[in-house]
Amino acid sequence: MLLSAREVSRSFGSFVALANANLDVEEGEIVGLIGPNGAGKSTFFNCVAGDIPPSAGRIVFSGTDVTRASAATHARLGIGRTFQVPATFEEMSILDNVMVGAFLRHHQRGDARAAALDVIEFTGLKALTEAPAKSLGTPGRKRLEIARVLATEPKLLLLDEALAGLTPVEIQEAIALVRRIHARGVTIVIVEHIMEVILTLAERVLVFNQGATIASGRPRDVVNDPAVIEAYLGRRHARDRGAHAP
Amino acid sequence: MRWLGIVIGAAFLLYPWLVTDDFYARTGADVLLAAIGASAWNILGGYAGQISVGHAMFFGIGAYLPLLAYSHMGLPPVAGVPLAIVISLGFAIVVGLPTFRLHGHYFSMATIAVAELVRIVIGNWDFVGAATGLMGPAVSRTWLDLSFRSPIPYYYLFLAVLAGLLLLTWHLQRSRMGYYWRAIRAGERPARSLGVRVARYKLYALLLSAAFTSLAGSLYSLMVGFIDPESGFGILRSVEMIIIAALGGAGTLFGPLLGAVLLIPLQTVTNSLFGGGGSGLTYIIYGGIIVVLARFEPGGLLDLWRRASQWWSRRRETVTVRHAA
Repeated sequence: MLLSAREVSRSFGSFVALANANLDVEEGEIVGLIGPNGAGKSTFFNCVAGDIPPSAGRIVFSGTDVTRASAATHARLGIGRTFQVPATFEEMSILDNVMVGAFLRHHQRGDARAAALDVIEFTGLKALTEAPAKSLGTPGRKRLEIARVLATEPKLLLLDEALAGLTPVEIQEAIALVRRIHARGVTIVIVEHIMEVILTLAERVLVFNQGATIASGRPRDVVNDPAVIEAYLGRRHARDRGAHAP
Repeated sequence: MRWLGIVIGAAFLLYPWLVTDDFYARTGADVLLAAIGASAWNILGGYAGQISVGHAMFFGIGAYLPLLAYSHMGLPPVAGVPLAIVISLGFAIVVGLPTFRLHGHYFSMATIAVAELVRIVIGNWDFVGAATGLMGPAVSRTWLDLSFRSPIPYYYLFLAVLAGLLLLTWHLQRSRMGYYWRAIRAGERPARSLGVRVARYKLYALLLSAAFTSLAGSLYSLMVGFIDPESGFGILRSVEMIIIAALGGAGTLFGPLLGAVLLIPLQTVTNSLFGGGGSGLTYIIYGGIIVVLARFEPGGLLDLWRRASQWWSRRRETVTVRHAA
């Protein structure tokens, strides 16, 4: 087991954003997290990434308890993440952005630079190596974030809506990139709204609603689950869909 | 570009021999001293993006300790320099640990508060001369007193220190440390997500910055031979470092030096034109520079220069392309 999150809860004041969420990820999987807005996906994601500590529960990564570990420690242990709203280092060049990531495993400038250039080539940003990050549009920024975190050589990659806001063509390119990353042996957990992405990429999905996980399984099965349809579309739809089902 | 650097370097080396009057050589030494202070501030405020407005406290500690060593123990002032650095480092840790939890303006305001507190304590403490301050040796007893009539020895001492500081900064900005500082300035949350231990790297920047600011203060009192609470710990000290660095370009290697070359002669002129009232004018000039920089050129003059030369080379390219076609 690469990642095991058990009974993870998080409250903000009296508001319970996440209640008793469970997630087990085996090495080499691609797991999707879906759910309507405000379902607790991002809170769960941030707990797993070490950005906010859970109020209760236990998260174990590769045999190490990381429940209360800092975000920096998560990165060191091999959990990488991207941000929903890209958080690239605007004034720095693309190469320098990626080098910040590469310095985690390569302390010498020359080694970090070489590793960063490899990742830049792999993610298809080579033509823009020296350009400042602020010159990129949204798709470029999302790609740069992926390049930057790949440079930290993660075992587990957490993608937070890395494909949102892209055009259909860009989505296809991004899906291909995620596949190539997976083929390198990186385990992936992806939060995504776009069903097409989840259905093509994920082997297993976990559905969140109102702070709890309401279903999990193969994507095709989950999208037909009455509880999931109800969460997304309301009760009446679930009944209608149920009535038409063979 | 390379020979431009050589010409500028040679100009700095030969400057005292190119001017005939001690007044100009003294101004040159003032420029270098201000460049040391601003470059020291630049490590924390420029590269790591933590805008301290309290660096006068390190400058003041640096300035007081040599004259304390002289007036209380009769030691050559220079003996107080290492102790000043140690005390500044201690202050940096005590001040840094709580204030680094604050972000943006709150951090800046906290540093002002601490520095002002220190200034008031010093101004009421008889051991350090209270409001009247401290004097250095009037006449040099041995060469170790580093008390020279001519400004030229100070000029070269400052030039050597500045060269060392800039060499160290250059090395750091290319290293892991420099990259982590810039990442912290650009965004602490993403920096953390890439494994950067933010608190630790901020503290490294503060320690280095404090040590060299303290050294700048020591060099000041070695040259001037006099220090009082206002000239050591006054908020104008902190503001001067910030303005000089920001004018040339904060977070760039040569920005603070450029800022000092422009601002210090200007200040010297206004001070000599208006006498004691000149310091009021200094405030006005500083205020004006802050407004103009914040509104039009937050990157400072080096950034303006970089963009101008980019624009120029693009223009030349298009012209060439047009000719080729």
